[in-house]
Amino acid sequence: MEELSIVDSIAGILAVDKGNRVIDKAVFPKDPVKIAEKIARIEAGSLVEEAEQLIQRLRKHCKRFIFESEAVAANARKTLKVKVKVSKPSEAGEYVRSNLGDIAAAIGFVEKPGDVFSVMREVSTILTKLRVKAAASKRDQIVIQMINSIDELDKIMNLLAGRMREWYGLHFPEMSRLIDSHDTYAKLVTELGLRENFNLEALERLGIAGEKARRLVEVAGSSLGGMLNEGDMAALQSLSHLYMEASRLRCHFVDRMETLMEEVSPNLKAVTGATLGARLIALAGGLERLSRFPASTVQVLGAEKALFRSLKTGTRPPKHGIIFQHHLIHKAPRWQRGKISRVLAAKAAIAARIDAFTGSYIGEKLKADLEKRISEIGEKYKTPPKRPQRFKGSGRGKGGKS
Amino acid sequence: MSRHRVVSHERIEGVFWVTQPDGTKKLATINLALGRSVYGEKILQFKGREYRLWDPYRSKLAAAIHRGLDSVPLWRGEKVLYLGAASGTTASHISDIIGLEGRIYCVEFSQRVMRELMGHVAAYRPNIIPILADARKPEDYRMTVERVDLIYCDIAQPEQAKILADNSDIFLKDGGWIMLAIKASSIDATKAPSEIFRREIATLENRGFLGLRQISLEPYDKAHLMVVAQYRRRSREE
Ligand SMILES: C[S@@+](CC[C@H](N)C(=O)[O-])C[C@H]1O[C@@H](n2cnc3c(N)ncnc32)[C@H](O)[C@@H]1O
Repeated sequence: MEELSIVDSIAGILAVDKGNRVIDKAVFPKDPVKIAEKIARIEAGSLVEEAEQLIQRLRKHCKRFIFESEAVAANARKTLKVKVKVSKPSEAGEYVRSNLGDIAAAIGFVEKPGDVFSVMREVSTILTKLRVKAAASKRDQIVIQMINSIDELDKIMNLLAGRMREWYGLHFPEMSRLIDSHDTYAKLVTELGLRENFNLEALERLGIAGEKARRLVEVAGSSLGGMLNEGDMAALQSLSHLYMEASRLRCHFVDRMETLMEEVSPNLKAVTGATLGARLIALAGGLERLSRFPASTVQVLGAEKALFRSLKTGTRPPKHGIIFQHHLIHKAPRWQRGKISRVLAAKAAIAARIDAFTGSYIGEKLKADLEKRISEIGEKYKTPPKRPQRFKGSGRGKGGKS
Repeated sequence: MSRHRVVSHERIEGVFWVTQPDGTKKLATINLALGRSVYGEKILQFKGREYRLWDPYRSKLAAAIHRGLDSVPLWRGEKVLYLGAASGTTASHISDIIGLEGRIYCVEFSQRVMRELMGHVAAYRPNIIPILADARKPEDYRMTVERVDLIYCDIAQPEQAKILADNSDIFLKDGGWIMLAIKASSIDATKAPSEIFRREIATLENRGFLGLRQISLEPYDKAHLMVVAQYRRRSREE
């Protein structure tokens, strides 16, 4: 024989001659998971055992083998030292794809020709799930970098804001009490500078109007602060500008985090929101690790410091970790919070498992369940527990149990 | 009893016109996944059958039918390769039309939308085969796709026509059909649509596609065109 085509298919590896006859074959085991694994390896360019066996058997009779994949052909040439040719697609490949059902039945892979397609669907689904998972599990590391950046930006912004208020306070000390928001404060310093520039139009341009604006102008006029020369003011303005840039960057990251979490962990996002979910992933060190934690661990993630302190000093162990940041807990009365955080942790743990392992989306249902459970807790524990003796003493013991 | 009236489309088997109570006409297909809506489209019952409305603003294939594409190369039992299936809006209606004897291989390379396609659509439709892959590398999925009757392509990529032709050489039968949604602006934002359409169509003609028909999708989709053509396999010696 001059040439034989080596055609890889869902049913196994086939050797096909010029007249489109299947002259030999190495059939795959009929296990979709194993087939998926083989196909993934073929796609990555390897020569699977079946192909190797087949070629070894036929090499005496055949001068050259035709492949549909360059990488597989190159591998066959290297490891088996046979002559190869690449044809994308090959005529034999076309023949196999056109008659897949019949061929699969003829080589004993399935009983009825039609059956091969349900195997094919199963294998495709497994492969696709694996790939979706692999793609997501890499991106969880980006989630971690991004959420850590957000937290660090917070720290930087706090430092910058403190310095900015103190410095500008030399010139206009009364403003700090009037303007709580660091963002607004930085905007006023950057855009207006010296307090003599504070007037109603200018303030309105910056989005401050009404009573607040009138107060500012009035106080600016009668301020007890000292003068700043232009150079000093410009230096301070560079600092306030830097604050604004950091703030903008933070907003941008928070925005991106929404999309990123939608990709990486949509179920967890539905339960906890994007940032809290990201913090849980970061604390665990990755989505897959988070998905292995029991709910009780998820509940105290982020409370490690307090946990150590309690171990050392014997004070009450912490009831909740970072999960306590969830808005549903903040809305609830104090005595319900422990119970809610337990339910929340349980749902978050389920969500993380689905995201890490199956890739399906049931976020809406998880969220609805969670809200239902929380309203049940609200009903059942409407009033604060009436056991005043609980609050006596060191605060240890059963009182803290939720 | 129903407030709707449903009649078959004049030319396309498996596609229906629904006249709504307010007199407006909408396209619909018979729902293969009972009770499940895919993208928020309305489900309605008529004479013991469940139909899903097919929104031309969400699906370019529906838009093309509204714009007068009256012979769609789609029928029961057909095998379809769909490039750029996204979350399955259009693919789900094709799945309705081809029925359980048909198969639709859905290639999509964004893992995010693939999750949706798998979880919300493929899970309930045994004729959908999800494939996470890049349509530019058809050899990657040569083992999980069979010879097909139609390739539907909507990937919003430069060189769409070339990608479609490469896939056709591997998977499309001689005499099979293609449908290509060309979005002018995403191919090259600086050129006028007409020139882009011309270039993509020239590629198709060079690669063995005959009887090209073009349908503008305005007003449902801006600067979009649906191209339908038939494939002639060239002999291998060429
Ligand atoms: C305009 S959307 C398709 C909408 C869909 N046809 C429908 O009507 O429901 C384009 C899709 O093609 C996908 N896509 C783009 N390039 C691709 C490629 N090279 N391979 C596979 N999918 C691709 C995108 O991820 C996107 O989901």
